[in-house]
Amino acid sequence: MAAFLAQRYSRQGLRSLFLTCAFPLHFWALLMAFRDISWVAERTNLWDGIGVLAYGVVFALVESIVIFLVVATLGLFTPVQWHSDRRVAFLGLLILLTSLWGMISQLLFIWNVFLPAPAVQFLRSSGHPFRILYGSCLAVVSSTILLPVYLFTRSKKSVPWMQDLMERLSLLTVFYLFFDFLGLLIVIIRNVN
Amino acid sequence: MNKRLNRRDVLKLAGLLPIGLAAPRLLRMLNTPFLAQGLSKNVIVILFDAFSAYDISLYGYARQTTPNIDRLANRAIVYHNHFAGGNFTTPGTASLLTGVLPWTHRALNLNSQVAEPYIEKNIFSAFPDYYRIAYTHNGFANTFLRQFRGHLDELIPRESLYLQSYDSLISSLFNNDDDIASISWIRAMKVNEEGSAYSLFLSHLYESLEERKLENLKPRFPRGLPTVSLVNPYVLETAIDAIKRRLTQIPQPFLGYFHFMPPHHPYRTSHEFFNAFKGDGVRPLEKPVESLARRVVKGLPEQRTEYDEFILYCDREFGRLYNYLESSGLLENTWLVLTSDHGEMFERGISGHGSKVLYQPVVRIPLLIFEPGRQNRQDVYDDTSAVDVLPMLTHLTGQKAPHWTEGNILPPFAEPDLNRNLYTVQAIDNPQYAPLTQASTVLVKENYKLHYYFGYPELSNSDGEEVRLFDTKADPEELVDLSSSRKGIASELLNTLKNKLTEVNKPYL
Repeated sequence: MAAFLAQRYSRQGLRSLFLTCAFPLHFWALLMAFRDISWVAERTNLWDGIGVLAYGVVFALVESIVIFLVVATLGLFTPVQWHSDRRVAFLGLLILLTSLWGMISQLLFIWNVFLPAPAVQFLRSSGHPFRILYGSCLAVVSSTILLPVYLFTRSKKSVPWMQDLMERLSLLTVFYLFFDFLGLLIVIIRNVN
Repeated sequence: MNKRLNRRDVLKLAGLLPIGLAAPRLLRMLNTPFLAQGLSKNVIVILFDAFSAYDISLYGYARQTTPNIDRLANRAIVYHNHFAGGNFTTPGTASLLTGVLPWTHRALNLNSQVAEPYIEKNIFSAFPDYYRIAYTHNGFANTFLRQFRGHLDELIPRESLYLQSYDSLISSLFNNDDDIASISWIRAMKVNEEGSAYSLFLSHLYESLEERKLENLKPRFPRGLPTVSLVNPYVLETAIDAIKRRLTQIPQPFLGYFHFMPPHHPYRTSHEFFNAFKGDGVRPLEKPVESLARRVVKGLPEQRTEYDEFILYCDREFGRLYNYLESSGLLENTWLVLTSDHGEMFERGISGHGSKVLYQPVVRIPLLIFEPGRQNRQDVYDDTSAVDVLPMLTHLTGQKAPHWTEGNILPPFAEPDLNRNLYTVQAIDNPQYAPLTQASTVLVKENYKLHYYFGYPELSNSDGEEVRLFDTKADPEELVDLSSSRKGIASELLNTLKNKLTEVNKPYL
C-alpha cells in the first residue's frame, strides 16, 4: 500500500494534502468551540471551558487524519498519468469545496435560515417532500462541486493556482496543529489528575 | 500430641493454606443469610434524579404519576416535607451522602468535589462492616462515588449500565474527565441535536451509525432514548435488572446506593406512558414570572406533561424492583429508602432545576422509608432534610452515629425537633472555598419558609439582595410574599439565617 501510495504521491504532496484536509476542519471546530467556551465557563469554570476547546481540537485532529486517509485513497482512482502535484491540487480543491458546503449546511441552522413559506407549502403539497428536498440539495451541491472540478481539469493554470492556495493554507494549518499539540497536553493533564 | 509433623503432613496443611486465606471472604459470600439473621439489616438507598415531590401523586399531585409508589407506601413511612440540600445534583447528592449541608461539604459548583475531610466522612465510611456497593448514571454523582472509593467495596462503572453506544467509549477513554469530554463530544458529533457540530463530516457519519445501532429500541421510546447529558443512552430496565442480580450475589449485610438518572431531563418516557397525560385537562396554577429567571421559558405545561410521563416510567421500575426484593426475601431484612437529590420546576418562566430560585418544586423531594416487616403506613409531616438520611440509617441499623453530621434522627424513631432550623443552599457561582457572597438560601422553620437571595446583580434595585417569606402550610404554592406584611417574622428568620451564614463563612475569611 505504501509503495502504491508512493507511486501516486510525493512526500511533499501528501504533507500538503494532509494540511489542506486539516485546515477547514480545524477552522470550523475552533470557531464552534470558541462559541461554547463562555457557555461552559459560565456554568463551571474557565478550566473546564478550556477543556472543551482542548477536546474539540483533539477530535478535529482525529477527524483530519481520517478524512486525509479517505481523500488520499480516493486519489488512487484519479488517472494514473496525472502528476502528483496535479492529483494533490485536484483533491485539495475537492475537499475545500465539500467543506464549504458542510459549513454552509450548518450555518443555515445557526442563523435560523429556513425555506420560505411558499417553498414549504409546495413541498407539503408535492406528496414526496423529502425526495424533492434531498434531490434538489444534491443537484445544487453536486453541480457546485463538479463544475469547478471539471474546469480545474481543463485549465492549465489551475494547478499552480491551487498549489499556491494550499501553500498559504498550510501555513495557517501548522498554527492549528500547534493548538492540537496544546489541546492534547491539556487533555492528558485533565485525565491524569 | 508433641509428635513432629512429617513432610507429608506439612504438604497436606500447605494445601489448605489458600482455603484459609480465602475463608473470611468465602464465609461472607456463602453464608449471607446466616450472617444476616439477627445481625445488622441491609440498607438500600434508591435515588431518582430530579424527582420533585410536587409532581408525585402520593403527595397530592393531581395526576396519577406514581400508582406503584402510592400502593407500596401503604407499608412505608412517608415523609411529606422533606427538603433537598441544594437544587442540583452536586450539592443535593453531596448532602445526602455526607449528612452535612452544602456550605459545610463545599460541593457548591457544577461537578465540584466535597472538601477533603468528607472523603473520610460519608455514608459509606459510616458503615465500615457492611459490603458497600454503589452505582450512578449521573456523572456529577459519580464524582463523589469516586472520591469515596476508599470506603466502597464495589463501585459499578457508570458506563457499564448505559446502552452499548459508541458514546460510552468517550466515558471509558476519558474516565477521569468524562463530563467535559462528553460535553465536547456532544458538540463535536451530535449534529442532529442542534443542527451544528464541531465536526463537518464525521458527525453525519457518526449519527447515522449510532441511529442504526439503537434502531430496535427506538419504537419503545417515542421521544427518543433517554440519555445522560444528551449522550450515553440508557434504559432504566437494564440498570434495575443488573442491580437486582448483583444484590443477590453480594455478601450481607450490605449498603447499596443506587442513583438513577430519570426523571431528569431529557424527559423521554417509555411507549407505555407516552401521551398518558396528554389532554387530561390538568393545568397547574399560573404563577408570576420570576425576576431571577435567566430567560423566560415557554411551553412549560407541555414540558411538565412530558416530565410527569417520565415519572410513570420511574414508578413502574421502582415497583418492579420492590416486587423483586420482596419475592427474593431480601426485603424482610432490608431498610429500603426512596428519595431524590433535588426537584424540578415548571413555573414562573423557569424549566428544570438550574435556576437561582428555591421554590418548593425544586427543593421538596420524596422520602419514603420501607421498614422490614412493616405492614402499615405512617405519615410524617415534620420538616426533614436530606442531611437526616445518613444519621437516620446509622441509627436504624445500630451503627455508631457519626459525630460530624448536621442531621437529626427523624420521627417516628425520635421525637420531632420543633425548634429546628432547616436550610437549603444554592451557590453554584460562588468560589468553592470562599465565604458565600453569591447564593440562594432557604430557611424553613415551623410554618414559614424564608428565601434569601444575595449577590445577584440582576436584583439591582435592592443591592443584589432579596428576601421573600411564605407560609408554606397556608400557601403551599408560595404565591403570597409575606416579607412586608409580617416584617417581624421575616426579620427574625433573616437574622437567624445571616448568623448561620456568618458561622459557616468563618473558616473561609
